[in-house]
Amino acid sequence: MIKMGRVWAVARNTFISSMRMKTAIVFILLLMILLPVLYLTTTGDGTAIGRIQSFISYGLGLTAFLISILTIIVSCYTLSSDIKHKQIYTVVTKPVKRFELIIGKILGVVLLDLLLLVVFSSAIYACTLYMPRLSKVADTDIKRLDDEFYTARASLKVDFDELAIEKIVFDEYEELVKTGRLDKSRSREDILDELRKTEKYSRNSAEPGGQVIWEFQNIKPFDVNESIFVRFKYNASQMATGDIAYGNWYVGDYRQIKYGQGWTETPIYNVPRKDTCGSQHEFEVPADAVAKDGYLAVVFYNEPRNATTVMFSPEDGFEVLYKAGSFRNNFLRAQVVIFVRLVFLAVLGVSLSVWLGFPVAILCSLTIFFMGMINGFVVGSFGYLGQNMIVFYKYVMKPLIWLLPRFDGNYNINGYIIDAKLISNRFLVFAIGALVIKSLVLMLAGFLIFTKREIAKVII
Amino acid sequence: MVGTNGQFVVETFSLTKIFTDWWGRSRVVAVEDLNLKVRQNEVFGLLGPNGSGKTTVLKMLLGLLWPTKGRAIILNNDIRNPKISAKVGFLPEESYLYPYLNARETLDFYGRLFGLNSKLRRARIDALLDMVGLAGMASRPIGTFSKGMARRIGLAQALINDPELLILDEPTSGLDPIGTRQMKDLIVELAKRGKSVLLCSHLLADAEEVCDRIAILYGGHMQRLGSVDELLKQANKRQITTDVLSADVIDKIRHIIESQGSEFNMTEPMQRLESFFIDIIRQAQQEKRPTSGAINRLDATVAERTAAVANVLDKLINAKVESGGPAEPQRKVETVRLKPNEDVLSQLTEDTQQDAMSPSQTAEPRPDQQAREQIEKEVLDELVEGQDSAEGQESGDDKNG
Repeated sequence: MIKMGRVWAVARNTFISSMRMKTAIVFILLLMILLPVLYLTTTGDGTAIGRIQSFISYGLGLTAFLISILTIIVSCYTLSSDIKHKQIYTVVTKPVKRFELIIGKILGVVLLDLLLLVVFSSAIYACTLYMPRLSKVADTDIKRLDDEFYTARASLKVDFDELAIEKIVFDEYEELVKTGRLDKSRSREDILDELRKTEKYSRNSAEPGGQVIWEFQNIKPFDVNESIFVRFKYNASQMATGDIAYGNWYVGDYRQIKYGQGWTETPIYNVPRKDTCGSQHEFEVPADAVAKDGYLAVVFYNEPRNATTVMFSPEDGFEVLYKAGSFRNNFLRAQVVIFVRLVFLAVLGVSLSVWLGFPVAILCSLTIFFMGMINGFVVGSFGYLGQNMIVFYKYVMKPLIWLLPRFDGNYNINGYIIDAKLISNRFLVFAIGALVIKSLVLMLAGFLIFTKREIAKVII
Repeated sequence: MVGTNGQFVVETFSLTKIFTDWWGRSRVVAVEDLNLKVRQNEVFGLLGPNGSGKTTVLKMLLGLLWPTKGRAIILNNDIRNPKISAKVGFLPEESYLYPYLNARETLDFYGRLFGLNSKLRRARIDALLDMVGLAGMASRPIGTFSKGMARRIGLAQALINDPELLILDEPTSGLDPIGTRQMKDLIVELAKRGKSVLLCSHLLADAEEVCDRIAILYGGHMQRLGSVDELLKQANKRQITTDVLSADVIDKIRHIIESQGSEFNMTEPMQRLESFFIDIIRQAQQEKRPTSGAINRLDATVAERTAAVANVLDKLINAKVESGGPAEPQRKVETVRLKPNEDVLSQLTEDTQQDAMSPSQTAEPRPDQQAREQIEKEVLDELVEGQDSAEGQESGDDKNG
């Protein structure tokens, strides 16, 4: 059905066009200048790991951003220019099906993306690997780099007792209704959400002398020589960011203490620490702290001398990490996600330009791209607005908003590399799957419009 | 399949196009109720002043615009069928080409769209570049070409698939007199080989010379349709041309004619500006004056000119015959033919093979092409030999330019 020879001819032409019209060249030069400058000038927080983290953060971010912008420009230009300058007359009158033309155009842009991404991310990868070797890093720092950066760690999921939380939240809501303290201007869902949040916060905070306990079930068995890493960030109600708070950590099978067995089967590690408020910290514990049945507890004991309540944010205040993959593999996965994102942008640009001229198509593409960067905010604000027009929101707005790409929050792929967080198979499948489905929807829409469209009709 | 038994290559039935504004209100009636039938193997001219709907008709035939009413059929089918568009060549009003590609890449791109294999593409591109006189400029970007030079590439692009039906929109616009002459010779020669040509033009002299039949459009309506001879012949007049005569002889002739009761008129015939111009350029070329423009052979006589065009067409078709081995999957598009045309085509290829044999016995291959790859050698030998004998005086100029 589809003839690859013809698709390939169109793709080739698109690729050559982006090179000879110098659009791609400008971006290549820009990256060739900026990446070395970044390499030489970034210092991060002064530590070896900080320097590498900020280099890879800026480097990858910049590369992905610039290639995205280039993709938007080229994909919006290629078809709209053909239509505007009428070269398309000589193309669609040849035995080329219109969807072959669309696919060819997309393929051309994607090839350009692939080339640039491979070249520049390989360069960044190489720089990242060689950075510590070139700058005489101390052995302790090398160890830290290997543990916290040149690796891919998965995090354990905290098992909140969701049912218990829901019960408490609903009880509190009933209480509010009974006592007449309910804020009538807000919707029920809104209030329930806030109650849930408050409850979760209270479970993540400790008064002076109190404690926070996180429990994990069904953890996979670890090798004796492996480590687990506790990573946390806290704030104290009476302290400013940067002030030091004291804490005593216990990591192990907490049940042994709780139920007073009197004997310990697995070790419980005690780690006293003093850490600054408001920034990320991390310590390492041998993996044999995990009980044989896969149970692990981490307890934070708030030293009374702090004289203040210490709070961990339920979102990013606490996690337990373990090594689950290699840095190289994780980096590669990140590049795959970025590549799929670029494919989506290419499909978006070409699909829009089947019926929009270059300026309008690029405006729409850029808007969608930037909305993708603040997807969480957009979804949140539309969700808030949508409460007053539930049907319209549910059946019209929501699917449209769903079509927006997501580049932020969990989908900010840079964060995974910087924090050496494993990009799991599950995440990979979901992130790629969603973008592929969105791309297919867009491509189908573009194709339908293009087939119906009169090529020679001038649209002003 | 719709329509007739293959007698017509283009048919329209009550073809109507009304352009509407954004709100869907009718604004301009570009073509109304047009019934056009172009026969196989004829050169058909669609004439009319600017804005008479000529180009709109072509666009509807080519699927670039949808008819508001009625329908248009090409080669008994819809143009959107790839099997049909594979047999059509189209030269648009202006040569809409990619400015960043060079001449060779441009033709290669269009060749790929037709699914021609690389060997065939290369052979045809060489032959076509040579034909349009741009062989020396094959690697210059189209964007740097003059309008006429781009037009020549546009023509080459339209011929790359060896089309059965050629649709030309203002074929001679932007071309210099030599290019115009060549375009007209080419159209005539293509028709001789069984191809059909539909062209639209407002250059009446050009149309008059090449068209078998013409239709005159005005305001989207057909005003007149018929063969050029029928429409233009002055049945009650005769013209005699001789060498210079003595006054005595003229008197005698006048006497004879007037005794028959007819009117006698005598003038010195003027040379047509076109042939005068071509003579001048030919002289300049024989003196080997340099030029940065397109270089074309200018053969003195009509017979030579025709032979030259025929030669290029031979090359185009021969290239196809030679590379048409069974092992080439992309040839599929090429081999799908509608039944009614089969006879014409087999005849065509037979003829051309014979034609190509005769010149090849005398000429030598050009030295600059001897170094080409072994694979193409067969095809190229055929091409190069044919070209030399016909070009004769021109090969020197090629090197100069």
